[in-house]
Amino acid sequence: MQTKALFTGPVLTAVAMLAIFLTMSLMALGFPEKARLMPLMVGIPGSVLALLQVLAELRTSIDDAMETDAQQSAAHWNERHMFTWLLLFFFGILGFGFIYAAPLLVFGFLYVGKKETIKVGAFGAAGTWVVLYGLFEQAFEIPLFTGLVIEWLLN
Amino acid sequence: MDIGGIFASLMNVIGSPYHMLLLLIAVPAGMFFGAIPGLGGKLGIVLAIPFVFGMEPLAGAIFLISMHSVVHTGGAIPSILFGVPGTGPDAATIVDGLPMTRKGEAGRAIGAALGASGVGGVIGGLFLLAILPLLRPVVLAFGPAEFFLLALFGITFIAMLSGDSLNKGLLVGLFGLMLAFVNLDPQTGTQRYTFDQLFLWDGIDIITAVLGIFAIPEMIALGIAGGSMAGDKRQSASYGRSGVLEGIGDVFRHWGLTIRTSIIGAFIGMIPGLGGDAASWICYGHAVQSSKTPERFGKGAIEGVIAPETANNSKEGGSLLPTLFFGVPGSSGMAILLGAFVMLGIQPGPGLALTGMDIVWTLIWALMIANVVAVIMFFAVAPVFGYLSYVRGGLLIPFVFTLTYLGSYLSHRAWENLVLLTVLGILGYFMKKHDWPRPPFVIGLILGPIVEDSFHKAMALWGPRFLLRPGALFMIALIVVSFGIYVWRMRSNKNKTGQRQHAN
Repeated sequence: MQTKALFTGPVLTAVAMLAIFLTMSLMALGFPEKARLMPLMVGIPGSVLALLQVLAELRTSIDDAMETDAQQSAAHWNERHMFTWLLLFFFGILGFGFIYAAPLLVFGFLYVGKKETIKVGAFGAAGTWVVLYGLFEQAFEIPLFTGLVIEWLLN
Repeated sequence: MDIGGIFASLMNVIGSPYHMLLLLIAVPAGMFFGAIPGLGGKLGIVLAIPFVFGMEPLAGAIFLISMHSVVHTGGAIPSILFGVPGTGPDAATIVDGLPMTRKGEAGRAIGAALGASGVGGVIGGLFLLAILPLLRPVVLAFGPAEFFLLALFGITFIAMLSGDSLNKGLLVGLFGLMLAFVNLDPQTGTQRYTFDQLFLWDGIDIITAVLGIFAIPEMIALGIAGGSMAGDKRQSASYGRSGVLEGIGDVFRHWGLTIRTSIIGAFIGMIPGLGGDAASWICYGHAVQSSKTPERFGKGAIEGVIAPETANNSKEGGSLLPTLFFGVPGSSGMAILLGAFVMLGIQPGPGLALTGMDIVWTLIWALMIANVVAVIMFFAVAPVFGYLSYVRGGLLIPFVFTLTYLGSYLSHRAWENLVLLTVLGILGYFMKKHDWPRPPFVIGLILGPIVEDSFHKAMALWGPRFLLRPGALFMIALIVVSFGIYVWRMRSNKNKTGQRQHAN
């Protein structure tokens, strides 16, 4: 039970903070004197506070370890679903740029992800394309990111 | 002071149908640029330059200043409705604006933002009219020592924004400070935490960081919970015109806070180098610190919307003065405006005080009138925005994701920011999920570079004795007194709660 408590979200969040502060403080030791002054002034107390937070979260987690229910697994499924879509948006836009990827992703999210009608999906995708291409690229003449894959293909 | 000249300048604006027409076109344009994340006032001015090119100088300047002065009025809308700040300084409005939307009070929050922006712009302008004779000594009295302590003053607000967990709040604030050191060190030119990535040399982009820490987690949470931004609060909702009117009324009910934050905002705007982001957060911190019930903040306190919004608009007036009189822009937006003024034939600098005071008065009036016009125009459409908070989350999320990635990319035109946005978004979600307060992160990130840079400059100029300068001593006293009052208030509130529980 106690081993399981080590892997709860609050503990891992606090551990992530501790890791960030420790890593950044250690890296600061390699900077020249003036450049490392402020990072160390912040990083050292940050590491100490983060360690205290990890200990506090561990204590709370062990107390709460008994509380598990079916609702949590449903929330975890929803969480994974949303993270999948976030990463799809990220990799889609990164690979294929705003003009091509964003309308498709909007359609996908609405039609596949949220089971909206095909009309709603198509309307959303068309609206996104009109705003991105019509307003930004054509009216404002702001070139949007074309995507790493598209750039690679074009070159 | 030439009172006749001041009022003649007012007639330059309201007495000229041409100038008024330009102002009426500029105001919605400025609000539009403010409302779209990543566009902002700077890009608005750049895009408007071809439009004003060839215009008579005063007409062109009125158009540009009117547009620039209302950018943050529009920027409050996505901050309140979706937790997506239109511009960097609008981030502080999210802290209480978004919880108000979740409580079904989007209309009231938008009304408060609208009223506060308008009143802030006008009071900021009036403050400038009053302070004009004292401008030079006040601006020159601010050196690196005072900058350092003013930024430190802002950082003390981290403790006040930490909510129930001081340790978590301090950690998040320190994390923001730590990320503020990701850059090419200004003292030694050393790359700090940049991993040879060029886009990090200027530091972490504030817009990307704010979108990552606030907007992405809100959308993930909305997708998980289902429903709309306002949840199931339709019955108690204030999303119509009455809600907006109630919000505008709140600005006048909290008149003391409105006046104070307008003046603080105008004052911070006047000091070149501090930046608009600092103004809104310092005013937000002031609202928390001066409240008798600070525990309401972060949970939908109306004062938490009023304070940053008044500051956002009043600081624009403040930063106009050093731009015009010293040729030193008070903000990055003003730097672009300065270039546009020169292009129009208005030569900023001390000479303007001798020969061009009519232009200065006219621009201050235009700034104030634009803020009033923005309130009237926006009032007509504000309830529509309130309804957006009742749109199903499933319909909203893909557009907000797109807008968030777009805002992050446009702010620096660097695709690498999309990576940073996703990483900070995931981290921000877990911070939200496990009750880590997020506002201290932004304070740390914004004030970190000011603290470091001014500290090194002050040390180089005066050594540790910089703390004994009159301005520095004044700032130290301000920090001690304000923190002392906050601690005293918190203790007396705790005692009162304890007594009440004991009596029950």
